[in-house]
Amino acid sequence: MIFQFKDVHLRVADLHILQELNFEISKGEFVAVIGASGAGKSSLLRMFNALTSPSQGDITFRGLDIDSDIQALRKNVGVLFQNPIVFEGTVRENLLIAGRWDSKISQTLDHEIIAALDQVGLVDIKLTQHARDLSGGEQQRLALARTLLNHPQVLLLDEPTSNLDSKLAREIMDQIEILRKELELTVIAVSHDHMLMRRYAKRVIILSHGKIIGDGNFKTLDKSRAFEEAGLLKNEVNDAT
Amino acid sequence: MRPDFYVLSWNDLLVSLLFIAFSLFLIKKWKLGLENTLLIGTLRTFVQLTLMGYVLTYFFDQQHWAFMLMLLLIMIVIASYEGTRRQKNEIPHFFLAMFVALLSAAILILGTILLFILDVKPWYSPYAAIPIGGMIIGNGLNSTALTANRFVGELKHREKEIETLLALGATPKLAVYDAMKASIHAALIPNINAMMTVGLVQLPGVMTGQILAGIDPIIAVRYQIMIMYMWFTTATMANMIMLAIVYRQFFTPRLQLKRELLREKS
Repeated sequence: MIFQFKDVHLRVADLHILQELNFEISKGEFVAVIGASGAGKSSLLRMFNALTSPSQGDITFRGLDIDSDIQALRKNVGVLFQNPIVFEGTVRENLLIAGRWDSKISQTLDHEIIAALDQVGLVDIKLTQHARDLSGGEQQRLALARTLLNHPQVLLLDEPTSNLDSKLAREIMDQIEILRKELELTVIAVSHDHMLMRRYAKRVIILSHGKIIGDGNFKTLDKSRAFEEAGLLKNEVNDAT
Repeated sequence: MRPDFYVLSWNDLLVSLLFIAFSLFLIKKWKLGLENTLLIGTLRTFVQLTLMGYVLTYFFDQQHWAFMLMLLLIMIVIASYEGTRRQKNEIPHFFLAMFVALLSAAILILGTILLFILDVKPWYSPYAAIPIGGMIIGNGLNSTALTANRFVGELKHREKEIETLLALGATPKLAVYDAMKASIHAALIPNINAMMTVGLVQLPGVMTGQILAGIDPIIAVRYQIMIMYMWFTTATMANMIMLAIVYRQFFTPRLQLKRELLREKS
């Protein structure tokens, strides 16, 4: 077991963003967290690397309280945001940005950087190229390579392909699936696009109004009304199955 | 022949009101709607500076270190309050940050000037300590208030960048380092530009005042050079101290960015 959530609640002012979350995630799983807009998906994802803390309840990472060493946790739990963040500077500077505080990363050799770029399917790219000149898809891959240089055990995906066309989205998700197997990563992906997610995730957590209303594999949950209750159209589910 | 002194009487000062009258005429003609604000500003300038003149005369007569320190402390407290008032966003403990920054700049820079540069005797002579201290505090206030606003703007603009760096394992200080650098850069550039053009484009106020009061221009220039260096150091030092305190206010003990502080205060 890599993550455990026990009676986790998140309140912001008087709003109940997340309520009564109880679940575990095992090493190597690919878990999709889906739900309609405002269901609390992104807030939940932020809790996995302590960018947000619960108002109540306990979260453990590898059996230890998530707050016990937050910097170490964040190195182990990489995140890929919806809009890739690319910093001013070259591809190399972007990849090695964690070298500002991590001497191992600052000492990364060029051939290791190129290997990381190959891993995410970024070939024919110059390390001296200005990172902000890359296309949206390339920037997302660059952000993924930067996260992988930290050698994380868990990869969090926050709607990572929502701004990409469907072909590119599939390519990036295929790449992530290959990496998951190669590097034995645990992947937790938040998405409103359950059709894309069901191609990769063996397990889905369905959120509605901050509560888990379904947790299991897609086939089992398709038979329940969880997708409809979460505000996801039934015909979409049928089309995809 | 160089005059010894130009004495400005109250009557002379009344004549200078013609400037304001002329400005009012122009403002009315352009329909800028600033008439009331200008009149209040004119009155406040007169009342505040006149009162200050009497207060200074009183303090100058005291010749006691405790009076001098008390006046400087009052000036720092007022400047810290004013700097806090100027913030567009709520920054927790900003008054304290300003107070510490201005007090540190005053102690170090004013102390150096009084003890080692001007060699004032006694060191607490209000004739030197109060006007120079006032310049340090005033300049520090303007610079830090602007830098803090700019810093919050940078945090808003870079919110996702900062969270990305935190997510990669950065400490809060390293996550906001670029934002701090950009804010200090923006604060120091006007000071450097002033150093580049001083004497070429305009004669600075202190120097002009000294020359009008009959001081030899060579001496007045030396004072001005010292003041320019002092201003720059004040801005650098006060901004760095202020930001070192302020950036911490934007993070929780769990190294999370307090995103709610980046929303404009109502």
